[in-house]
Amino acid sequence: MLIRIVKDWIGRSNKLERLWLMAKIEFKLRYYENKLGLLWALIKPVSDIIIYYVAFEVIMKQGIPNFISFLFIGLIMWNFFVESTTGTVQILNTKKYLYEYTNMNKIEIYLSHILSNCIGFFFNLFMFSIFFYLFEKNSSGYSLHAFYFIPIFLNLLVIALAFSLILSNIYIIANDITQIWMVVTSIGFWLSPILFKLEVFRQALPGLDYINPLAGIIINARNVLLYQSEPDWGLFFFDWGYAIVLLLVGLLLLNKLGSKAAEKL
Amino acid sequence: MINMENNEFAIVAKNISKTFHITEDSHNTVKQRLFNLFNSPKKKKVEVLKTVSLEIKKGECIGLLGRNGCGKSTLVKLLSGVYPIDTGYLKINGSTMLMNLGVGMSHALTARENIYISASVLGLRIREVDAIFDQIVEFAELKEFVDTKIKYYSSGMVARLGFSIAVNAGADIMFLDEIFAVGDMKFQEKAIKVFESSWIEGKTVILVSHSMDVIKKYCNRAIFMKNGEILFIGDAEKAIEMYTEDNH
Repeated sequence: MLIRIVKDWIGRSNKLERLWLMAKIEFKLRYYENKLGLLWALIKPVSDIIIYYVAFEVIMKQGIPNFISFLFIGLIMWNFFVESTTGTVQILNTKKYLYEYTNMNKIEIYLSHILSNCIGFFFNLFMFSIFFYLFEKNSSGYSLHAFYFIPIFLNLLVIALAFSLILSNIYIIANDITQIWMVVTSIGFWLSPILFKLEVFRQALPGLDYINPLAGIIINARNVLLYQSEPDWGLFFFDWGYAIVLLLVGLLLLNKLGSKAAEKL
Repeated sequence: MINMENNEFAIVAKNISKTFHITEDSHNTVKQRLFNLFNSPKKKKVEVLKTVSLEIKKGECIGLLGRNGCGKSTLVKLLSGVYPIDTGYLKINGSTMLMNLGVGMSHALTARENIYISASVLGLRIREVDAIFDQIVEFAELKEFVDTKIKYYSSGMVARLGFSIAVNAGADIMFLDEIFAVGDMKFQEKAIKVFESSWIEGKTVILVSHSMDVIKKYCNRAIFMKNGEILFIGDAEKAIEMYTEDNH
């Protein structure tokens, strides 16, 4: 039944084509309006890695093995989440021209934005893999466990979509959510195990790896890519549950508040 | 029964209405909302559209008449699915496009990108857009500026591009709001020519205009509105008569 509906949806309409078209244009707008192009996507994580490496490894001597890879994968996942959410808080306002004159489904606007972020993410993941294989000492490369990264990344994608939906719809009734979210994400960065040793993080802030959905996703991404082990299944299923509940809330808000976007914004 | 309804009508609206709640000092931030938790702002109810019902057949060109502020634009936005309805039932069969002087285009994008996105939103596949691309550009008389961002266009150029996309790509149901005011005289003539050719055949068109000649020429049926109510739906001549009387 479900497969038939999806098949019907894809076969009969140009929706997938349109999503890809809008994602490509969005991506071009972000990265190709300047000479550095796609390298911009890489500059942020690389400059962050340099700063944090100096602070946490050279000065504070945390002693995390393969610290650069450890940071690299954590940062690109975190940046994907932040860019997908901060970039979409005002999306109903900036993309008003798409739904103001037609009865287009608004969810497509979100999907295309996140899809365009995926292009940047996969470029960074590719660069990470090159680094991990060629430059990381004691690296034995990926194992079969790396395939678990697919559901883990999908989990991140759903969480990012859910937050986008929730925030951008709150924006309709409270404009300053943009500033509030910037504060939340900068606090969230320090409350995620991006920079810290996992044991230290868990000891200092017990339970936070469950409360902060990004924490579990980053922990599991490292498990399957860096440490060639299985994901922490408890966290894995908990975060999927988290993502689904948030997505439902987001869709509900889109239905309730988002439908009034054309008249309120 | 339902199938028959689907095949015959482009739009079926039963008892739809719209009320806007206008606050005098808008509380639009979290801060304002927190500080005014027990002091909610005075809301003013404006009943823009009182309960109306109507059916628009597929392939019909129907006129919409009424003085400024009578609720025409709101009705158009409800029927095109841009605004949600407050009450009643509304069934829209197909893609809709609302067209007035500024049609939905992003000023950050080039004409080429806007053409692809707009046409895709209207339901065309990429290769279908490829096929009509030159036609759209030529009709809009913008050949040299295809890859220029439209923020550098004049307002006339933007309007021509919008009109050209609408004419060549077109949604199943088109809402045309005073479109004959687009562009210079030469372009207007061209627009009218398209309109008089086979373009409107097979399309459902809701034509909003203050020009009686336009309505008389293209519509068999027309809707006459006054103070948020539909006073008459039917013969265009009769609707025009009522509208003219209302203006005196």
